[in-house]
Amino acid sequence: MADILLVLFGVSLLFASITNMLSSIARILIVQGLILFVLTILKTNEINMWEFAFVALETIVFKAVLIPWFILDTIRKNGIKREVEPSVSNFFSLGSMTAIFAFAFFIALWSGKSNQNLYPLHFGIAFAAILKGLFIIIANKKLITHLMGYLIMENGIFLLSLALGSQMPHVVSLGVSLDILLSILILVLFLNKINSTFEEVDSDELSTLRD
Amino acid sequence: MLYLYIWLFPILAGILAWRFKNKSLNSALVFAHSILHLFAGIAFVLPSSGLPEFLGIDGLSIWFFIISAILYFAVGLYSLQLKGSLSNRQSSIYAICMMAFVASMDGANLSRDLGLIWVFVETTTLASALLISFEHHKQSLEAAWKYLFICSIGIAMAFVGILLLVIAMPTASSLAIDTILTLAETITPFWLKVSFVFMLIGFGTKVGLAPLHFWLPDAHSEAPAAVSALLSGALLNTALLPLIRMQEVMNACHLGGLASQLFITMGLISMFVAAVFMLKIKNYKRMLAYSSIENMGIVMIAFALGEYAGKAGLIHVMGHSMIKAAFFLTAGNVYGIFGKKDYDQCSGLLAKNPISGWLWLISFMFIIGMPPSPLFLSEFYIAFALIASGNIIVLIAFFILLAIIAYGLGCASLAITMGAGKARTKLPFSRYLPQIALLCCAVVLPLLLLYLVY
Repeated sequence: MADILLVLFGVSLLFASITNMLSSIARILIVQGLILFVLTILKTNEINMWEFAFVALETIVFKAVLIPWFILDTIRKNGIKREVEPSVSNFFSLGSMTAIFAFAFFIALWSGKSNQNLYPLHFGIAFAAILKGLFIIIANKKLITHLMGYLIMENGIFLLSLALGSQMPHVVSLGVSLDILLSILILVLFLNKINSTFEEVDSDELSTLRD
Repeated sequence: MLYLYIWLFPILAGILAWRFKNKSLNSALVFAHSILHLFAGIAFVLPSSGLPEFLGIDGLSIWFFIISAILYFAVGLYSLQLKGSLSNRQSSIYAICMMAFVASMDGANLSRDLGLIWVFVETTTLASALLISFEHHKQSLEAAWKYLFICSIGIAMAFVGILLLVIAMPTASSLAIDTILTLAETITPFWLKVSFVFMLIGFGTKVGLAPLHFWLPDAHSEAPAAVSALLSGALLNTALLPLIRMQEVMNACHLGGLASQLFITMGLISMFVAAVFMLKIKNYKRMLAYSSIENMGIVMIAFALGEYAGKAGLIHVMGHSMIKAAFFLTAGNVYGIFGKKDYDQCSGLLAKNPISGWLWLISFMFIIGMPPSPLFLSEFYIAFALIASGNIIVLIAFFILLAIIAYGLGCASLAITMGAGKARTKLPFSRYLPQIALLCCAVVLPLLLLYLVY
């Protein structure tokens, strides 16, 4: 069960690199949120009750509902449909995703050897998601896409912390706090304020301060 | 008890500030917090108090706590009469963010658990982002966005580092530094190395080490003067602390050599970037920000060399914090007098406002390391350690870069202070006092504390 979910998570990453639609990336985030929620439930016996309730609730509320909804809402309000200016082509982005997977699993081979608590497939997918998130941030220009890249990276981090949940339960809650940081980051209206101050939400626009 | 009021007071005061939204109450609360904070710092240092042993705090924590305590007191004093133009609601937000910012820095400085340190560093990002964007114009929003986003990525990377550290020690059940140190023999070197690199990138972003420094000049130049002083003087140190602690772990696992090499590389790149930009830019607050990057680079080199250079690093951290804070507060005065941010549009500060002029010049002399500045002492010892360890090339680069930076800063400082000025401008006394106190502290305190704490 957990394996199938992990593979699905990996497939969602591949899908993220071939789509150009912003809203479909937001939907990928919803799917990932749900997968993470189910994975958390599967881990119940390894985490203590209160911590588990908190983590599961946070995952479903923030990762699967609130943040994707907020992003979809922003997309709708601003009438942004496509990521018009990705710096790299779909083909290249798919290719690099494959390379990322290869690299992540290569490292994962070691992880199983040195730490018995860790499952290489779990580590590989999580690490790939972190790298993919960074890749999205680097390869795109729109602020909202940067945000989604950050969210994918964060899902990867949460997945990684879940893998270590049996050994050190409180790292999972720490991972959750990263999530809360991000939600506040968004909800403190930065995006909206930046939107009204800067006409286009492009990182090229953010260049009044430079040397 | 101390713990109680270090964190309880900001919470209660925050509630009060939010409830009453009264300008003078807000100033009073921030000022009261800064006084309590200073007392806590003094209580930590007094040798007879026995508090550090009781609370399980080590010398490094106390050292960094004292720095932030003194800076915060100076900033509290400076911003006593600053609130004239703010609405009641704004001043409440300012007070709450300020107290939350300082309280979370305390948390990061005092805790000895990597997980906790990480959480508190994360909280400082949030609280200070609001302070940076406080003036709500286009530039400050942009600076705050860059700061939040780049530092959040940094924080995320640092967390990946922490997770990898957990992978490296399959038997550990806590992230307390002491536990990690006792397990040093069982840690897998490969994962520890990867984890260290991630943490260096993550916390290094927050320290402002080049090439991860892009947010720093923006944030430090757009924030109000009092906030810049705290950001530059206290926040950078707070983010530096987990790196120093990780270096301890690396040393315990016999990987100290790698840590030192990485530290020296990052340090030199930071100094290089600062030197290049120092010659190019005109905005004096940005210059001060680049000078912070440079000084953090020097501190990294100092800690990389260890032993007495490590002690010199501590002196450098303290000296830099105090002097830079004084410099930034004086920059606030300069901006208040001229209303311009480029140094070639300001001249005649000595004639217009002699005290600010002299403060500006003295801060400049101190920051480039002229005696009696503590930076002279620390840089002297770092150079000494570089010779002793045979890093002659690093030493040569170190001095060339220091000279370039001194030249760049000197151009700006002299352009602002010299020249003819027409009318004199009056400023309230509270706009000078903190800087004078900070500069005096900078000369006396590092040596005194080094004697007391170690």
